[in-house]
Amino acid sequence: MFLDMRNITKTFDALKALDNVSLQVCESEIHGLLGENGAGKSTLMNILAGAFPPTFGEIYLNGKKQENMTTHKANELGIRFIHQELNLVNDLKVYENLFLGEELTGAFGLLNKKQMIKKSAEVFKRMNIDIDPQEKVENLDTSRKQLVEIAKALLFESKLIIMDEPTTALTNKEIENLFVIMRSLKAEGVSIIYISHKMPELFQICDRYTVLRDGKLIESGNFSDIDEKKAAELLVGRSIIEDNKQDQGLVGEVILKVESLSCGAAFTNINFQLRKGEVLAITGLHGDGRGELAEALFGARPVSEGHISVNNKPLSLNSIDKVMKAGIGMVPRNRKERSIIKDMSIMDNMSMAHFIRNKTLLIKKYEAVERYNRNKKAIAIKAGSPDDNITSLSGGNQQKVIIARWLEIDSDIYILDNPTQGIDVGAKFEIYRIIYDLAKKGKSIIVFSAEFPEIYKVADRCLVMYKGQINAELTRDEITEVNVMYYATGSNMEGIR
Amino acid sequence: MNTEVSLNKLYKQRFRKFYSEYTYLFSFMVLVVVAVIVNDKFLTYSNLSTLMLQATIKGIIALGMTLIIISGQIDLSVGSMAALVAGLGVAVLNNTQSILVMLLFCLAFGTILGFVNGLLVTKGKIAAFIVTLATMSAYRSIIVQLGQGGPFNVSAELNDRFRMIAAGNIFGIPNLAIVFVIAMAIMTFVMSKTKFGRYVYAVGSNENAARLTGINIDRIKILCFSITGFLTGISAFLLSSRLTSITAPNAGISFELDAIAAVAIGGTAMNGGRGKVVGTFLGAIMLQMIEGILIAAKIPPFLTGLVKGIIIILAVLFQSKKNK
Repeated sequence: MFLDMRNITKTFDALKALDNVSLQVCESEIHGLLGENGAGKSTLMNILAGAFPPTFGEIYLNGKKQENMTTHKANELGIRFIHQELNLVNDLKVYENLFLGEELTGAFGLLNKKQMIKKSAEVFKRMNIDIDPQEKVENLDTSRKQLVEIAKALLFESKLIIMDEPTTALTNKEIENLFVIMRSLKAEGVSIIYISHKMPELFQICDRYTVLRDGKLIESGNFSDIDEKKAAELLVGRSIIEDNKQDQGLVGEVILKVESLSCGAAFTNINFQLRKGEVLAITGLHGDGRGELAEALFGARPVSEGHISVNNKPLSLNSIDKVMKAGIGMVPRNRKERSIIKDMSIMDNMSMAHFIRNKTLLIKKYEAVERYNRNKKAIAIKAGSPDDNITSLSGGNQQKVIIARWLEIDSDIYILDNPTQGIDVGAKFEIYRIIYDLAKKGKSIIVFSAEFPEIYKVADRCLVMYKGQINAELTRDEITEVNVMYYATGSNMEGIR
Repeated sequence: MNTEVSLNKLYKQRFRKFYSEYTYLFSFMVLVVVAVIVNDKFLTYSNLSTLMLQATIKGIIALGMTLIIISGQIDLSVGSMAALVAGLGVAVLNNTQSILVMLLFCLAFGTILGFVNGLLVTKGKIAAFIVTLATMSAYRSIIVQLGQGGPFNVSAELNDRFRMIAAGNIFGIPNLAIVFVIAMAIMTFVMSKTKFGRYVYAVGSNENAARLTGINIDRIKILCFSITGFLTGISAFLLSSRLTSITAPNAGISFELDAIAAVAIGGTAMNGGRGKVVGTFLGAIMLQMIEGILIAAKIPPFLTGLVKGIIIILAVLFQSKKNK
């Protein structure tokens, strides 16, 4: 047994984040750590990496008890943590980031630039990616940043690598590359703890699993003994009822018309229509201009050309306020950066959009409380008091509060940009149900998503983007994973050149 | 036995929550105790009214500074702004012989100067720190040039009447204290009961999210700077009444320091998003009390700056500890 964490308990104030959790990882093992958001995975890994000490419990490495762990000591012991959030300094070059805090020095303690650049290039070569070590990090897109983050762990001799959702921003090809590296690391005797929400990946790469739920250890075992359904059940602690998209067949008249919309290099010549009661998915791979398009539709990004009309009335895109007034609401991607107002209560977070749409000067507290109660019931938000801080909620419930924020202004069109990002399976299904209900009420919904199962579950129609353009329009019957990938990778463009 | 322990824990938890929310109240009480020990005349009427008198002029500015800091900005120009408004205000008074016209001038001019700050920060997309550093220098320079280095004196025939605004009292309560309390009450109402108040918190907490909820963040920031300009206008008016002579190079000097200190001591987060106007109100009074304590403890007056500096650092340190 290489790593043995025994009976770890961690309390923050009165909150028990971990309750008597044990985790064993063998040498040369890829261990999948599963759990919904808030299950305690990150806390457990932070304790292992020395970010903070456990309240109770012991950690053994190679049978040797480790005490007073610090991040520095963990690094020396060969434990590397690849964080889910990118911890890169944008203003520095790639190689400077890789060696940050562990710079190679030569005579007189001066930096040995040449050596660092050379070593960086070697790592990238090994990972089979072409990133220039001298490139500034801010010039890289998200998937490349994530690869740099991973390279950071490979740069130094390590015995145990913790990967916290390393593939969220990666393309399939990059994920395959990563798996190749992981397998070769494994062959060298390195152990890996792999945290992910993506079941197929876990089953593909991991040997054993440990499931946490609500800070408690649920089960450890071999992946070969379970299937995806069983794993999902362990995760949420109940059987999942899967609703599937019901073909309604009756979508109404056109409500939104987008004509030759362009925005610099991000996307060009976008044309589509949206009907009443329709769920339109827009998908693609990284760098397809999807995110920019979502912002532009909401008036949050200036466009260089084209126009939009809602109910046959032209819509001015230079103010979010006006777009909201025209009946469009948007749940942005990346909840933490773009939706949550972290210093505010759940109730205030929920009321924000309503405040904007109803131009009164004062806040009516009783209305806000009513709003809170109504939504809490309608979309099953698990929360204590309306005055609690929004950050006290789990990711899924935070996202529901944000959705409630927009439900409150009763828009005709909802733009949901990656609405289930980083939330657990249970909450995902609940959000899909909200989408079904909205469509049933005659609302129109545009879902921007890169997750195929999600698109399949909700969409009536699907637009596939490739390099800033709409490459294909798929009807309900044509939405298959193969089709989506075919057009998202631009395979149909081959040979045209 | 078991329930007793958990009950105990619950109380501890509640206390901790209460404490972290109202730290400034606790520091205020501690300071009052210290003040009473050091100065046996502390709780006398004359001492308390002087205290309020001294706290008001900078305190009113600090109320505005609270909004600016909660919204994630900073304003270093308020001291120079007060000098510019006060100096020209006195000139207006002397020329028009009307206190009312002077008051209106101070309010309007202060608001305009604050508006300029806000405009440069939002439309010019320059960091508030830089904009207000520049206007701090500019506003001061204008008034020094206009006064040719000399003071702006209130003309003799108006002097007595004008002086009574700051020196007078109603039912024994100093006018200044009344103005301070009213200003605090209004700003508290604005920040806790109006949507504008919520937007200020939202912009300071997460500007991106605030924008994507439809909040016009530029407008909110400009309003914060303008309100601070308006309050600085009030402060400049009261300052002229109190001094009846504005020396351009010295008037309002280091007001920005005291205002920011009051905000910090009052528990407002220096990186925005959290804070209370009442905290700043008490913070301004505490700052004045500390000066009083230093005098009573016979610490050389030249060292007040040092003590203030240390207090700002301590206040912010406590805050960042608390938020961990």
